[in-house]
Amino acid sequence: MVQSAKPVSPIWCPGCGDFGVLAAMKRAAANLKIPTHELVLVGGIGCSGSIHNFLEINGLHALHGRLLAQAVGVKLANPALTVVAAGGDGDGYAIGMGHFMHAFKKNASILYIVMNNETYGLTKGQASPTSQIGFEGNVEPPFHSILTALSIPAPNFIARTFSGDPKAMTSILEEALRFNREGRGFAFVEDLSPCVTYNDTYKLWREKVLDVATLPDYDPTDRKVMFRLCLETTEEGRIPIGVMHRPKEAAHDGLELKLVGGRNGPVRTDISVGTNLPAYQKLLASLA
Amino acid sequence: MTTPAARSTPLAETAGPGESPPSHELTDLSVMIGGQGGDGTLTVSDLLGRYFRKRGLYVYTSRNVLSRIRGGHADASVRASRDPVAAVKSRVDVLVAFDNEAIEMGKVELEPHGFVIYDSTTFRVDLPNSVGFPFATLVGGPLGQPIFKNTAAYGALSVLLGFDADQTRSVIEERFKRRGGEALEKNLKALEIGRRAALAAGGVANRFSVAPGEAHDMILTTGNQAVALGFVVGGGRFFAGYPITPATEIMEYLQRYLPAFEGVVRQAEDELAAINMIIGASYAGARVMTSTSGPGLSLMTEGIGHAATAEIPVVVADCQRVGPSTGQPTRHEQSDLSHLANLGHGEYPRFILSPSTPEDCFELTVEALNLAEKWRVPVILLLDQALCQNTSTSSRFDLSKVHIDRGKRLTATAVAALQQYKIYELTEDGVSAVAPPGTPGVWSEVTGNEHDEWGHVSVNPANRVRQMKKRMEKMVKARDDLPPARVFGPPDAKVGFIGFGGTSGPILEAVRMLETRGVPARYLQARTVYPVPVHEIDPFLKTVDVAYVVEHNYTGQLARLLRETMPWHHAKLRSILKYDGSTFRAPQILANVKEAA
Repeated sequence: MVQSAKPVSPIWCPGCGDFGVLAAMKRAAANLKIPTHELVLVGGIGCSGSIHNFLEINGLHALHGRLLAQAVGVKLANPALTVVAAGGDGDGYAIGMGHFMHAFKKNASILYIVMNNETYGLTKGQASPTSQIGFEGNVEPPFHSILTALSIPAPNFIARTFSGDPKAMTSILEEALRFNREGRGFAFVEDLSPCVTYNDTYKLWREKVLDVATLPDYDPTDRKVMFRLCLETTEEGRIPIGVMHRPKEAAHDGLELKLVGGRNGPVRTDISVGTNLPAYQKLLASLA
Repeated sequence: MTTPAARSTPLAETAGPGESPPSHELTDLSVMIGGQGGDGTLTVSDLLGRYFRKRGLYVYTSRNVLSRIRGGHADASVRASRDPVAAVKSRVDVLVAFDNEAIEMGKVELEPHGFVIYDSTTFRVDLPNSVGFPFATLVGGPLGQPIFKNTAAYGALSVLLGFDADQTRSVIEERFKRRGGEALEKNLKALEIGRRAALAAGGVANRFSVAPGEAHDMILTTGNQAVALGFVVGGGRFFAGYPITPATEIMEYLQRYLPAFEGVVRQAEDELAAINMIIGASYAGARVMTSTSGPGLSLMTEGIGHAATAEIPVVVADCQRVGPSTGQPTRHEQSDLSHLANLGHGEYPRFILSPSTPEDCFELTVEALNLAEKWRVPVILLLDQALCQNTSTSSRFDLSKVHIDRGKRLTATAVAALQQYKIYELTEDGVSAVAPPGTPGVWSEVTGNEHDEWGHVSVNPANRVRQMKKRMEKMVKARDDLPPARVFGPPDAKVGFIGFGGTSGPILEAVRMLETRGVPARYLQARTVYPVPVHEIDPFLKTVDVAYVVEHNYTGQLARLLRETMPWHHAKLRSILKYDGSTFRAPQILANVKEAA
């Protein structure tokens, strides 16, 4: 057995919501029996983005805000890999917002986990895009990732979890990873992950979270219904959690190469000149 | 003096003065075509270029277009010569005008022996040796649309310049066959209309033809197309980019070429995404590239520094244009060199390669892919607008010279024999062996944070020094692996030139002109510009009394790099600079060379 990089101890404060995601990720990957060498975790910058260091996994520590672009690149180059991107709300919804919006459109079969604590923890508690008005002088209304995600008409899997309920989180991450591994497209899971040091919201969020599956009209295949339910729940001062969109489409036929018909994709295809010579000669002969 | 062909005149096959052979032959011809954007000036230039290439001539076409889709003046020029030329000729022999602006611009450059043809549908010209043809009207009736006037102009020129009729026609067939039946048929008709009009009209007293050349089995292409082909043949299989002039064609060609080879091309939401997508794909084990120009390069700078620190191979083609900011998107400059040499915050290695012809673009793109993977260092392909978008004759690209070197890439078998898999292992040459993710039995941590050999984040001072040296020393250790300079001219010449990229064409022409004046000169074309190849340039400078560093920027960026790395040659270096957005013409270089007087 070759010795590879060993996980290190988390840098997180005791009680950090990110521990919930770490535990749920481990369980979901184990339950799905994903071999370690086939699992890639692209981490963002911030407390949550260091999660890859604490897992036995292929870790790719990206630039601040750019983890989705890198994760999409990994997946498109080798669709056989299971690719997870994980970072915080500042990383994803501030500096990375452009890539966030386009990830839904690109619809590569990767899982994106945002650990939302409504603050910049690592830089010691500044307001983030999801901070409530009044938090650290914040005067801007909080960004609502789920409503935004639902507004983009692409067949993505969309869910929200709460670190206070790791069991539900494990099952949602499992579903999201299955969705990816079936090549059905992009999965977005926002986890409400309290920062015990700068924004300890455990108690508040425990009172306010509402599993949308318990609502009478709940239908995650109907984008319209789910948008209304999420909006109403939010306006009533509750925090909607659960599976928000489970697309009807059987399979995604978008960007990444299907591993059928003998296609290997950019990484595994044979690039030797010898093998490709007749095709290369034909290509060059087309020059005037 | 203008003699527009009367529409009522029957356009007979015979008896026109145009049919008599041209009075004399030129060995170096320049045709300028100008009109409003959308008039099809670039098509005329393309058709003429293809014809001359078929006649065994060296061809160079350039364009002067505005950054807009339609309207505004646009012009193009075609040069055909029996000598290898890769620069715009200083004077114009034939001017083809679709608007008055073309006349105003072109007439000052027109040779005394030159002539003008123009579309007399909308304007009149009062110049000696000018003839108007109502091209738009002539094609508008039979073909239903005036847009074929450009092909008609090509047809008229083919008669006036004594072209071979069959080859004139086969150029049209080649050019329009991809667009299919109707486009081809109408263009063939437009060709005939133009030919007949010229046969029927008289009035151009000074006519000439071009002597055929001996440059056979050559191709006519642009640097951008050559880079795209080099990428495919060099094993590149993942490309992400964002549209930007003058780099976009690289992405467009690859969108056509790559899918057949299981490659992926993605247009990203911005250059930040483009560079990070290729970083991800390269980490996964694909050969990757992106292409951009100044404004995009600024955004990619963040990612290039990350790739260097994380030791993820990337190739970035920078098609330089006039900067900073939006600058002049369609115009030529070489002003990114200083930025690239000092790219980014912090310190990291990078190789900057500079090809000068399409063939060189092809070869150095393959080399860039090899170097990036072998040394796990970002490689910049330094291009410029003229090289990227102007067409020039080139030898056919040689597949037998293509060699793919993936460096210390670990196979599954090699991995199984390891005790430990350290992705940033310290080694003699600074390069660690890497297995792409998915290789059974191993996994790794890859990061842009400073890290130890395992990829774990580290602030240990001794480790920082070790990893910095590992990365930075690659610039020294790779020296003999980097593309060598090319030196032209006799070794005993005392006048030297140094340049790079698209400027090589006019410099070589200037060197030949000096030779005919009895002043031998040498030219060193730097193909690696960073790290500065002191081992090549120092001996070169020792052989000459003076070296003119010719480049398209205000501050003399290459000259500055040379002075910085070889201060002992300070006194020998003289800058010849141009930053007006257009390329050097050989006489403009000579005007700054004291020894030429």
